[in-house]
Amino acid sequence: MLPLLRGLLTTLKSMAEKPTTVSYPEQKRPVSARFRGRHVLNRYENGLEKCIGCALCAAACPADAIFVEAAENTDEKRFSPGERYASTYEINMLRCIFCGFCEDACPTEAIVLEDNYELSFTDRKQAIYTKEMLLNPVPAQGKPTPQQVEPGVFTRSVPEMKDPTD
Amino acid sequence: MEKSEPKKFVVPIGPQHPALKEPGHFEFEVDGEIVTGATARFGYVHRGIEKGAETRSWIQAMYLLERVCGICSHVHATAFALGAEKLAKVTVPPRAQAIRVLVGELERLHSHMLWLGVAVHEAGFDTLFMYSWRDREIVMDLLEGLTGNRVNYSANVLGGVKIDVDDKQRDDILKGLEVLEQRAQYYLKVVTTDETFLGRTRGIGTMTYEQAELLGAVGPTGRASGVKRDVRVEAPYAAYPDFPVNLITDTRGDLEARFVVRIKELFEAIRIIREILDKMPTGEIQTKMPRRVPEGETISRVEAPRGELLYYIRSAGGDKPDRVKVRTPSLCNWGSVLTTAVGHKLADMPMILSGIDPCFSCNDRAAIIRRPDQPAQAWDWESLRLHGIEYYKR
Repeated sequence: MLPLLRGLLTTLKSMAEKPTTVSYPEQKRPVSARFRGRHVLNRYENGLEKCIGCALCAAACPADAIFVEAAENTDEKRFSPGERYASTYEINMLRCIFCGFCEDACPTEAIVLEDNYELSFTDRKQAIYTKEMLLNPVPAQGKPTPQQVEPGVFTRSVPEMKDPTD
Repeated sequence: MEKSEPKKFVVPIGPQHPALKEPGHFEFEVDGEIVTGATARFGYVHRGIEKGAETRSWIQAMYLLERVCGICSHVHATAFALGAEKLAKVTVPPRAQAIRVLVGELERLHSHMLWLGVAVHEAGFDTLFMYSWRDREIVMDLLEGLTGNRVNYSANVLGGVKIDVDDKQRDDILKGLEVLEQRAQYYLKVVTTDETFLGRTRGIGTMTYEQAELLGAVGPTGRASGVKRDVRVEAPYAAYPDFPVNLITDTRGDLEARFVVRIKELFEAIRIIREILDKMPTGEIQTKMPRRVPEGETISRVEAPRGELLYYIRSAGGDKPDRVKVRTPSLCNWGSVLTTAVGHKLADMPMILSGIDPCFSCNDRAAIIRRPDQPAQAWDWESLRLHGIEYYKR
């Protein structure tokens, strides 16, 4: 009799407990700060794209998921600081393994793995995320790209970092 | 009517869903309810990872090899990184080695708790399955906070680790471990005292010390039979020389002993993690690794949650590995399943199968050859050698 009551006590106790179930998708579990979700391409505050089309991410990618094609910047049509910008930037999300190595390889901190984990597609073509889908929106004080700028201002493709070892 | 000769009755199980949710094919010869012989067939999940590693650069191959197994992914990357660093004569800073061990032990917690859930589920004890998987979320969250992913952490890079441990994460881990330790106490109590559950584990699948030595059982499976073997103790790698591990063995060798050994390893892992967080070495977490690794070959051994994991790495001096050979712990333990299965009831097979913590994706490099006149496992070295010669003549 006693073991039975003890068993029922456990049942009673767990009735008072809060359920551990998270009713996704209505309720979302916050992800950790280091979470590696879908990539985004960042912009500078003036609206210029951080990506300079160097394709170091594509070279580093262990899964060959990234395809980058670069084109020349001009001061009339400027997408990013420096000589070149990425005219095509595609990530195949079916190939991507979310290791974050592109993030480490990027010299301008343009590509960052953010916290979006809701990736679903109905066919293989949809799995290829283009540059338009990956780019962050233009910040409030910035202008959309391509911008027309003064010549000789944006000559450095890699910005000067405060801590070069960082 | 003439009475016909009694024939062998074979129960095929798999490749779809043989007790575990991974593909593997088993054939049990039964006499009534009692199993008289067992054969296994694997390779349904062959992905060609070893060959794939040869076409990728050293760092890319590490990410690929991390995906050999979804549960013990960090140890695969560690084994490869340690081997590549040995070849390149790179000394990894002590803090990086400590973080490698830290993630490795957290992964051991996660792997053993996952196994506990699966194994008790096979016994029909679904309450404990739910409990252990709920509590496993704690360690999964810790790993997510530490590395960014719940599985395939990508914590390693060649020449160090990618992630550092700050004070907040340290506190989170310590808090999580406190809960886990209490829960592990509870699991130990349940699996050693619950009468119904002991009926499924006590005296089932017993493997003696001699059998374990003969069949080359590794990891907790071997240690439950009294085999005093653990790479972390015998040949300490990474930060294990500074954080010594206590060997946990049992002498009974049955399923109960395997439960006890694995749960006691949870306590040991918790102790090691606390010690590392307490005496974390300071300094850098990465050193520079050359893109080209000098010519040479090496063996790298680490202790995965399931047992000894062995990597053979050969470099021809290029920016790609020349050959990578992976020998996973599950591969060594299959012999013990097929041998101990004999004499047990067919209903005990799922428990005996899951008792070694099998990983089928680790077995994609196993080939079991069957001859019509003999049982599959009765192959001596000489006949295997002759078969190999014949096979390659064609």
